[in-house]
Amino acid sequence: MILVTQRNPVLRWSYFGEQWDRIQAAIGEHLFLTLTPVAIGFILSAVLAGIGLRYRWTVGPITLFAAFLYTIPSVAFFGILRTTPLGLSIYTVLIPLTAFTILILVTNILDGFRAVPAPVREAADAMGLSPVRRLFTVEVPVAVPYMINGLRIATVTLVGLVAVAGIVGRGGLGNLIMEGIRRQFWTPLTIGALLSIVLAITLDLLFFLLGRWLTPWARTARS
Amino acid sequence: MSLVLGQRAIPRDTTLWEWFTDPVTWTGSGGILVSLGDTVALCAAVIVASAILAVPVSAYLAHRRLAQVTSAWLVNIGRALPTFAVAALLVPISLRGGYGFEPWPIFIALTLLTVPPMFLSTYVAVKEVDEAAVNAARAMGFTERAVLLSVELPLASTVIFTGLRVAAVQVVATEPIRAFLGGDGLGRYIRDGIGQNNATLTVGGTFLIAALAGLTGITLTAIERLAKPYGVRRLRADRSSRPGETDEVDVTDVAEPAGSHAAAGRLR
Repeated sequence: MILVTQRNPVLRWSYFGEQWDRIQAAIGEHLFLTLTPVAIGFILSAVLAGIGLRYRWTVGPITLFAAFLYTIPSVAFFGILRTTPLGLSIYTVLIPLTAFTILILVTNILDGFRAVPAPVREAADAMGLSPVRRLFTVEVPVAVPYMINGLRIATVTLVGLVAVAGIVGRGGLGNLIMEGIRRQFWTPLTIGALLSIVLAITLDLLFFLLGRWLTPWARTARS
Repeated sequence: MSLVLGQRAIPRDTTLWEWFTDPVTWTGSGGILVSLGDTVALCAAVIVASAILAVPVSAYLAHRRLAQVTSAWLVNIGRALPTFAVAALLVPISLRGGYGFEPWPIFIALTLLTVPPMFLSTYVAVKEVDEAAVNAARAMGFTERAVLLSVELPLASTVIFTGLRVAAVQVVATEPIRAFLGGDGLGRYIRDGIGQNNATLTVGGTFLIAALAGLTGITLTAIERLAKPYGVRRLRADRSSRPGETDEVDVTDVAEPAGSHAAAGRLR
């Protein structure tokens, strides 16, 4: 047992040097697989939220559909697409990951636009702003904190789910985790897991800072 | 060891119907009944543990209006923790300690997943209880303890329970990752389906998990209705007769995890 412990420690530091290329590639893939679906999901959600705000009755069905997508267990979604003709292609993970962001982003964007006080909207109209200008100079700024909040949650959720995508071999740092489990060799597992946690917290912090930078007025108003 | 043995190989041309109607699928050591039992036991343990960890502390802090900023930060960081990575990280540690692949790593990871939202919904629910009710209780000579236990908690119970239900459904939907970390449970069919490239198994497993998640939601909603304190039920009836007055805490729509973020903003 002691021998095994020495050969297979939870983390062998030299692995970083030996396998740095792989680790770097895994981080890169993890970032790509996180940010691409968030970006696509944000565009889709903005469109869906736009439809929802224009035609009120669609909000219910849209939210319901998004909630349905969100409740599909991630391993199941990946697993099913893995056994379809999509197989090992990148879409097997991109499609579920994008689908998971929609609920979070749509609800937050809708909340954001609903948070615009009616008097503010009326004041904008009274000042003669065109609907397009009203949207971008009045409503969007009010909604930005909500959007950022949605992006934060979507991003950290996806960092975790990309790791899960390691089960179909397309999961960035998740691949390292699965390799560790399969070979019962703990160093890649620990590195993959720790780096995903670090990545999630870092991206969360970056979006938080982005939100503060985008809404400088919020700080003065609060204090 | 389950990780190596896995499910008995199923011919790829087995249809879903054939798989579900084959008695061998249900009974035996790798059968659905055993897997279902494993999953339900773990999920129940996680929910109970999270409720014990989150609700009393959160309710007390909210009553005293303490640690608002600290709680918000802890909740945010807790929410950022990727469950799969946390569980994986704990696997070697658990093995080293002689505790095996499961249940500890997955148990701890799932508990960390559910404590933050439960903590948050409890905190917001207690904090948002109508101040008039609280002050009236104080004026009647209630001790602080009684204010919390017999005024604030009953009034907050609906929202707290909704938070618990949402968390429970999420746990059921997340628990299958356990099958990929050396464990079993209902996720095993998805794992074996991927391993054998057999769509029947993955789809069948998905169906089982979805059914359990749905059933969990329905059961807890029913319990929620039945267990609602008598006074709160009357309160709702009163309110509905007074149109235009809906000062209910709007975190009731924590139905989606995203909904609780309005609450997150408020907590901060």
